[in-house]
Amino acid sequence: MRKISLKINNKPYTFLANDSETLSHVIRERAGLTGTKVGCSQGSCGACTVIADGEPVLSCITPAFRFDNAEIQTIEGLSNQGTPELLQELFVRKGAIQCGFCTPGMVLTAKDFVNKNPNATKQDIKEALSGNLCRCTGYKKIIEAVTEYTELHKQGVEHLPPVEESSKIIGVSRPYIEAEKKVLGKALYADDLQFRNLLYCKFLRSTHAHALIEDIDISEAQKMEGVAYVAVGKELPEKFGVLPVSHDETAMAIEKTRYFGEIVAAVAAESFEIAEAACKKIKVKYKPLKTYFSIEESIHDVGDNAKIHEHCKFNNNIHKKAELRFGNQEEGFNNSDIISEMEFDVEGVSHAFTEPHSATAYWDENGLTIHTATQVPHYLHRALAKVMQVPLSRVRVIKPYVGGGFGGKSDPFPHEMIISHIARKTGRPVRSTFTREEVFLSNHGRHPSKFKMKMGADSNGMLKVLDADVAIDGGAYGSFGVVTSYYNGVLLQAPYEIKDFGFRTYRVYTNKPQCGAMRGHGAVNTRFAAETLIDDIAHRLNIDPCEMRLKNFYKENVITIGQFRITSNGSRMALQQVMERSGWKDKRANLPAGRGIGVGCGFFISGSALPIIWNEYPQTVVHLKLDFDGRILISSGASDIGQGSDTMLAMVVAETMGVDMQKVFVLAADTLLTPVDLGSYSSRVTFMCGNAAKQAAEKLKSEILEAVAKRKAIAIEELYIENSRVRSNDKQVDLEWLEAVDMATAHRGALTVSGNYISPKLGGDFKGAGAGLSPSYSFGACIAEVNVDKQTGQVELLHVWGAHDCGKALNPLAVEGQLEGSWHMGIGQAVSEEMKYFNGLLLNNNFCDYKIPTTLDTPEIDTNIIESGDPEGPFGAKECGEGALHPVIPAIANAIFNACGVRITKLPIKADEVLSQIKANMQVKAEAIN
Amino acid sequence: MEATQSYIKVKTTNEAMQQINSLQNAIFVAGGTDVFVNKQQGNIEAGYLIDVSGIEDLMTCRLYDDRIEIGAMFTLEKIIQSETINTHFPTLVQAALAVATPVIRKTATIGGNVLCENRCFYYNQSEWWREAVGHCLKCNGDICLATGGRKNCFSKFVSDTAPVLIAYGATAILIDADGERCVPLESIYTGDGIVSVTLNKKTLLKSIEIPLSTKKVIFKKLRPRKTLDFTSLTTAVSLDNKMNLRMVIGGVDPKPIVVEGNLKKEDLLQLVTTAIKKPRVVENDFYSRTYRKDMIKVFIENSLNELGIQIN
Repeated sequence: MRKISLKINNKPYTFLANDSETLSHVIRERAGLTGTKVGCSQGSCGACTVIADGEPVLSCITPAFRFDNAEIQTIEGLSNQGTPELLQELFVRKGAIQCGFCTPGMVLTAKDFVNKNPNATKQDIKEALSGNLCRCTGYKKIIEAVTEYTELHKQGVEHLPPVEESSKIIGVSRPYIEAEKKVLGKALYADDLQFRNLLYCKFLRSTHAHALIEDIDISEAQKMEGVAYVAVGKELPEKFGVLPVSHDETAMAIEKTRYFGEIVAAVAAESFEIAEAACKKIKVKYKPLKTYFSIEESIHDVGDNAKIHEHCKFNNNIHKKAELRFGNQEEGFNNSDIISEMEFDVEGVSHAFTEPHSATAYWDENGLTIHTATQVPHYLHRALAKVMQVPLSRVRVIKPYVGGGFGGKSDPFPHEMIISHIARKTGRPVRSTFTREEVFLSNHGRHPSKFKMKMGADSNGMLKVLDADVAIDGGAYGSFGVVTSYYNGVLLQAPYEIKDFGFRTYRVYTNKPQCGAMRGHGAVNTRFAAETLIDDIAHRLNIDPCEMRLKNFYKENVITIGQFRITSNGSRMALQQVMERSGWKDKRANLPAGRGIGVGCGFFISGSALPIIWNEYPQTVVHLKLDFDGRILISSGASDIGQGSDTMLAMVVAETMGVDMQKVFVLAADTLLTPVDLGSYSSRVTFMCGNAAKQAAEKLKSEILEAVAKRKAIAIEELYIENSRVRSNDKQVDLEWLEAVDMATAHRGALTVSGNYISPKLGGDFKGAGAGLSPSYSFGACIAEVNVDKQTGQVELLHVWGAHDCGKALNPLAVEGQLEGSWHMGIGQAVSEEMKYFNGLLLNNNFCDYKIPTTLDTPEIDTNIIESGDPEGPFGAKECGEGALHPVIPAIANAIFNACGVRITKLPIKADEVLSQIKANMQVKAEAIN
Repeated sequence: MEATQSYIKVKTTNEAMQQINSLQNAIFVAGGTDVFVNKQQGNIEAGYLIDVSGIEDLMTCRLYDDRIEIGAMFTLEKIIQSETINTHFPTLVQAALAVATPVIRKTATIGGNVLCENRCFYYNQSEWWREAVGHCLKCNGDICLATGGRKNCFSKFVSDTAPVLIAYGATAILIDADGERCVPLESIYTGDGIVSVTLNKKTLLKSIEIPLSTKKVIFKKLRPRKTLDFTSLTTAVSLDNKMNLRMVIGGVDPKPIVVEGNLKKEDLLQLVTTAIKKPRVVENDFYSRTYRKDMIKVFIENSLNELGIQIN
């Protein structure tokens, strides 16, 4: 160690640091300025960008000593006395912030660029920000914010005029309530939290895909100075998993390892560096077993070899089979005038949220507390109680700000178990923060899938029958896989009315990191296929593919063949909207060769009607407390992971109560302080928590009005609350909020009320009937325009028009953000993202080789909100965060067909494949001419 | 000598040479945008990093009557902004713009880019990963994993600026204990994926010189995204007014492949065929081996077209 001097945000600092230490480490750990984020540690994502001696620098790869005696500016130094500067205001105002993890780097990069290039165009800005990855927003609102900043900056504007608070709350765009905190770099994510006497945990990960652990020797690691504890698998024998039917994972491998990267041992030490060095001293003796890396390998009888899991029913590695059939498919195909059948092959993809997993656990007189980047505090609560073998009442899970999840933080994770265990053993807080490689190794991403699908229609293009035979590669453990298996089939039964409908799916275990739930869960890959088959049928029947879809859509208020209850249904409006916005008819007729336009539609659940763990507890409970200060405390277990659920809760309560947003305060996702919410998955939060919050607010409102009515001797029906005043229709009563609060709290103190949401009883009574049941469904459509280079097979995505039926946009700004983010993620899966394996080892476990679309790879996106008004959703709202993803992939694939006659059946769409098909088609044509 | 520091910033070339000659197991580092990552992943075993990015003498770009000299520590960003380079060597600017991302280009240098360590899926990984896969040739293993067991290393040469510089006929000015020397840039690449340059660790790249000429160079780069990505194929094709054709191909072989000839004397088709066949392309990229091979042909033919040369 030696002395380093830095002037950070004009404040001089001197530290002792190691030569190998990065600038980001010094800024975060030594100066304690955690606004600088580390997303990839390889300079690929831009989250760590700071300004050093006047130039942006990637602090995660830069040795701190390069900037000895330099001036550094971090996000904390950008604002003046805590007041956001203009660009920050624009990020907030324009909705350019969701999870907020990329925001500090994005803001610093953008500000530096625009200040040096005041006449920058929108394209220049895209180029300048192309090294800053954002996984939430699809960049659209970020580019808008920076473009507007360029204009205003030129005009010498210093601050935006304040927004006039509208008395209307629902339906009015507003930034997230925590957006300013995020843009200032003050929002604390799991790795930003500071604890005294902290231990740092690192893991020894298996170097075998499938092997017996014959011996683990931890003695050398234990002897190392600075090592506090070394843990091995047998200390934590309890199995866990998010689904009760798939408790198949232990915190660390005990008898054998099932994938490359599985945790075999853990070391907690005085620093991550010591822990890592100690891990290398642990000696493990493995005895390799036969490995299974593909669906093909896993479906076969294993003979005398070991299965991946003993609990598999047969002597193979099939985890789950699901099959449902309705109507008569055989007859359906016999009666069809046209049949389309194709085979599909889709690679796995990763959530690739920008914030790596991080957690800190400690024990005190209240038992275990863990602060962790999770989407499911409740399921983690249960899993920790089980694995730690303590009563549920001794576990507290707290979710800090989370830098994106998309389903990737919706399981209880081994590292959360391990640090809890070591914290108990050592009596000290223990932290784990993943490297980007570890995030990829933990996976839980979308399943690689191979499947056949067959669809039949009559000569008018009316769909008759669908059959799908789907195999999904689950990796080494169960995760949400049983649900995924069903979703691949059941979610095909709409938005089109198909009478003869059936599918078979099976999920296999393989010796790879486990797959789980990811945005659009289970239905993304088969939706791509179904929309492709429809496109094929339309093409062969010479029918406009949009018109064909319009003819086949279910209407509102119907029961589908598999007993789904569809209430609100905006599929028609969504498709018509994108047809109009894109100039579909005109483009379809007039695009030149090589250019193409294609369409896809989607269908998704708005919250699973059945809880994962069957019980009679409501799916969510929201508490409100009103005390003497007039503030309403909303407490909810809902997990805001950047999708904006905290803001949603505040808006629903303020609107229902008739008060302004300053009077509500959200306390969320702390399993000790907040009532249960099942978590941020299956697009359930707005629908369920929104309803519960609304119900609670109505109760609170009536309690206040009752008190006022009594005091003022007026009928309660005469009273209402508006603009935070309690009034009577005859204006005789017109109380300020605090006056009303005084009356309501007199002689009893704070008012507390509770609301909940319980899904109605839905669905059929056959086995598997519960899969895909939801109190409401979302619908959407996308049209994409592409250019295909016939010489290279390269596809350029020119434009995407999307529309999504979210019932009612409670906060249009937030809904747009969810839609744009969904489409962006779908674009990634369509054109560039894949998890590439070599014998079970992930080849592209970093943000350089895992290809998330950058600003330059994201086309213009035209965003359209469709409001069908759901009868049961809060204010008519339903989901918007996942379903929007579905239509974009087939829209792109179908556009490619339209452009060059190449039918896409593999994802990601690669130029290799497109080119070879172009050549094959030319060959066929040439032969036909001859 | 045992230094107390493992990361050493130097201010002058002399200081750099003194340090490198006095330390065991030291290497030079320029912008370091790749080296620091490789170091963090344990790919670089050197005990000492001598940071030469702060040597002011190497940060200049000088125009002479017959050539330009670009200091090795001239950043890619500065190349993009340099009026001189934009005027005389516009294709070099295109190549610089194709490297990494705008923020990386502010740190990354031309010297670092031409000496960028070769890359491969099986090499640019963490220590754990390389142990798990069973080390490949480039990390002291016995076989090349990308090719399923060959005894040569096929790690990719990934510099985007080097092919263009070579197409322009650039030379490298090197400094070592014996003094300064000037060599054709292409001559420093070995073609061996393990040790990809002829320079020993104690040699410092001082600058790149490019002769002024009316040569036109066509640059093309294949990559899945429009930014950030290392190359899957880079081509630079040049033609001078005496009809000397030079085709330089990167991203598909452990070194930049150079095929050249005078079109008055040699058969164009033969030269093109050689250029397409010569690279030893293997499966270590986002794109398949066959696709990249196909694209060499497309890129070269299109470049020739843009230079006004008709094939067939």
